[in-house]
Amino acid sequence: MLIVIGKWISHLIAFCNLGSGSTWPGHIALWANPQFIKQIIGKNQLKIIIVAGTNGKTTTASILSHILAHNGYKIFQNQSGANLLNGIASSLIIAANNWGKLDFEYVVFEIDENVIPLALAQMNPDFLVLLNLFRDQLDRYGEIANIAKKWILAIQKLPPQAQVILNADDPQIAYIGRNIQAKTAFYGLTETPQPSEATQYAADSLYCPQCGKKLIYTVNYFSHLGDYQCGACDFKRPELTIQNSFYPLAGVYNKYNALAATLTALKMGIDEGKITAAEKSFTPAFGRQEIIEVSGKRVQLFLAKNPTSFNQSYETIKTLGATVLCISLNDRTPDGTDVSWIWDVDFPKLSQFRHIFLTGDRVYDMALRLNYEGYQSFTAYPKPSDALREALSGLKEHETLFVLPTYSAMLDIREILTGRRIL
Amino acid sequence: MIISRFSQVLKKPFIRKGAFFLRIGWLYPDLMGTYGDRGNILVLKKRCLWRNIIPIIIPVTKETRASKMAAIDLLFGGGAQDREQEIVQKDLYKKKGKVITALIARGIPSLFVCGSSQLMGMYYETAEGKKIEGLGLFKMNTLRAEPDQKRCIGNIAVEIMHPESLLGEKLLGFENHGGRTYLLDGALPFAKVISGSGNNAQDRTEGVIHNNAIGTYMHGPLLPKNPKLADYLIMKALEIKYQKNFSLTPLDDSLSQLAKNSLAEPR
Repeated sequence: MLIVIGKWISHLIAFCNLGSGSTWPGHIALWANPQFIKQIIGKNQLKIIIVAGTNGKTTTASILSHILAHNGYKIFQNQSGANLLNGIASSLIIAANNWGKLDFEYVVFEIDENVIPLALAQMNPDFLVLLNLFRDQLDRYGEIANIAKKWILAIQKLPPQAQVILNADDPQIAYIGRNIQAKTAFYGLTETPQPSEATQYAADSLYCPQCGKKLIYTVNYFSHLGDYQCGACDFKRPELTIQNSFYPLAGVYNKYNALAATLTALKMGIDEGKITAAEKSFTPAFGRQEIIEVSGKRVQLFLAKNPTSFNQSYETIKTLGATVLCISLNDRTPDGTDVSWIWDVDFPKLSQFRHIFLTGDRVYDMALRLNYEGYQSFTAYPKPSDALREALSGLKEHETLFVLPTYSAMLDIREILTGRRIL
Repeated sequence: MIISRFSQVLKKPFIRKGAFFLRIGWLYPDLMGTYGDRGNILVLKKRCLWRNIIPIIIPVTKETRASKMAAIDLLFGGGAQDREQEIVQKDLYKKKGKVITALIARGIPSLFVCGSSQLMGMYYETAEGKKIEGLGLFKMNTLRAEPDQKRCIGNIAVEIMHPESLLGEKLLGFENHGGRTYLLDGALPFAKVISGSGNNAQDRTEGVIHNNAIGTYMHGPLLPKNPKLADYLIMKALEIKYQKNFSLTPLDDSLSQLAKNSLAEPR
């Protein structure tokens, strides 16, 4: 009954163009029946994959879904951003038929880091993919060490046959593998890193999660990701199950996302060649390196929602030869209401950009930031449509406008560029 | 409104005989480096450079010898996560407490935000209830939040009470703390809360001041949007170092004002 009502609400929301209706039906279903997720999953035989971490959830889940679909499996996925319990419930409502039957073999859920304990109380995933923990919305979530602690407590309850896929290069994530009974497999990088000054003071996790002493890094890719060992106890980066895969997207951070998806697919028993073939035909999720053509001009969106993702997106567009940049900074609930993180971004000493167009609710905070960095060629536009119009009108024929938006700013900009709202 | 190319023009500083310089000590940038607090250091540095005052940033880490800190003219410490704060406390208490106490007694202007301010109090309680001794420079204690008390998170606006030369100055920031700080008899509050929680979400006080050392819960980071406070610290540091009065060249702070306005306007 809840499913029929939920579907009806979902259609109504879509029909009225209020968004795509991806959280309200679930919200109502959970309000009427808090056990809704547990019950509908219990009634169906499908394998569950959960992807969690601060950065890369949507991209990893999308690559994985693409690999599965490409190999003929019936799968569904919750919508990006709809990664709280109401979003999960909504995706179940949309995927189920009117009798609560899920005619699928796999489901891929990307789940908010803070919701992992609640989600694991509702379902036992067959595969749990843990990507990383960076400083993100401290205003909502508190400190990352606390999140890691809560994760361990929740993941300890997984049965021994569950498969946990872990990023070996993130000490907090690797440490989880030492404390659980489920099967573990690790991915990480072994290549020589690009020189970068980005890690100096990103003090998220430079200390041993086991004994608290300083970790010694022999290789550092970005932030606190790398090859490390503790100077005092036996904690070190675990043996890697895989260290290489096909990389469908630019940027070191996307190598990690591809590795996570590839390792998960391998553990599902999918042939390596078939995984690579699927990855070669992968197109990015919206806002993640997505290219939008607007009246003959090219815009590429790189979500930049916290210092790590901003630094990484910035590094990546530099390698793509970017000359014109638009940064959009919002401080709405999905972005986190604290914009202090922009001061943790490592802007290079000299801007390589011909011009930087600034916009968003907190446009002047970003202007102030760039001013103190010594940048000169930037302009602030409180209205995103003004910033985009000006940026596009001055764009030369061969140039791409690169946009680095926070989450809600990305939705705004997409709506302006495509004339359609996503969430 | 559209604003273009308003960046301060930075003349390359040249070191000439008699040039003014300031040694700015930065407590544990590797351990107390979250919440964007390093923006305060950038602001102090640039506001010196824009006036041809030469800033020398001295990062103070666990490995820094305490003797190297004696020449510091201006001291800054940021916020920390619990685990890192305990590592800092051990090093401060065993090795660097004495020299910091001596600096503050000499009137060296200092800004301690959140975790580092708690460390300068008499004691603080961790989220787990562990009671940890501070340096006792500020006459205040920090208790952990009771189970029914929420973490103090959000934008905060205050009005400065001390020092007198900044009386009534309005500051904006972002606070994010579980601990409740209570000033003891004789401690002077830095500011009074206009909106937000401040020290303890009860008595409307924000922060603390002792000599020229300011303790506060205000992140944001604090100084970019509140340049008058940055200039106050720089001016005090110069006065104490060179033993004469200074007046700083005014800078164009219209961007700070715009950023402040956008936060004050309801949306």
